[in-house]
Amino acid sequence: MLAALGLLAGLVMAFAVAPREVTQGNVQRIMYVHVPAVWVAYLAFLMVFVASVVFLWTRSPGADRLALAGAEVGVLFLGVNIATGSIWGKPTWGTWWTWDARLTSVTVVFLIYVGYLLLRRMVDDPERAARYAAIVGILGAPNIYLVHVSVQWWRTLHQPPTLMKAGSATLAPIFWWTILANFLALALLSAYFVAKRTRLLKWEQEATA
Amino acid sequence: MPDNWGFVAAAYLLTALVLAAYWRRLVRREREHERHRFATDRRSGVTEPPAPLSGHPRPEPASRPPLQ
Repeated sequence: MLAALGLLAGLVMAFAVAPREVTQGNVQRIMYVHVPAVWVAYLAFLMVFVASVVFLWTRSPGADRLALAGAEVGVLFLGVNIATGSIWGKPTWGTWWTWDARLTSVTVVFLIYVGYLLLRRMVDDPERAARYAAIVGILGAPNIYLVHVSVQWWRTLHQPPTLMKAGSATLAPIFWWTILANFLALALLSAYFVAKRTRLLKWEQEATA
Repeated sequence: MPDNWGFVAAAYLLTALVLAAYWRRLVRREREHERHRFATDRRSGVTEPPAPLSGHPRPEPASRPPLQ
């Protein structure tokens, strides 16, 4: 309910409160989904990392369930980020896709976590599957940092960081607040998804035990 | 620069569809699991909680007072 209200507020902010951006026009409004979606995906993958470490340390099935739910939700939101970025790229850059450093590194992260989900299904022994997946969940996390710095390390078509950069922000406050509102809404929704998926996994494990 | 409202609509619609599809999948699996659990409980003799009644429920025949 709270997530639904948040999404509604985010839509109002994106379409009624935030003004038309001067350079890009209204197509810039895609950023209010594109940017928050990747932040939520990063948070979900961070949760996978922490839960994987806890699982390898304690062998707690709860930590493993949290890692799996986080990976699924992270892949979902990163997929949204890549798709909306591609839709934004066509009118702005003139192409749906280009293999620049940011787009390539984010695709690598997406594939790592898709691999994580596939690995869970490929290994028959659940304990072994959880162990292997935890290792992937830990090794996958540093790639998120690589995605973040890719626009600084290499010359890319993707613009350098606008929000998460040192020094003063170059973004007008209204754009910043709109992105923040949408981020909070999507973060609430992702928390709801993770909670629901974790509970479902618990039931499934109890049923098969 | 033209506004490209079609691209904006496509991005938001796609996001809504993907998130709604995932939510529906979770809800459907939850329902399936609850049905399965209910069936398993019934087979193992666990009585289910009484279904909620609407209106004014009549008492069970055994508990009704005999007619005078």
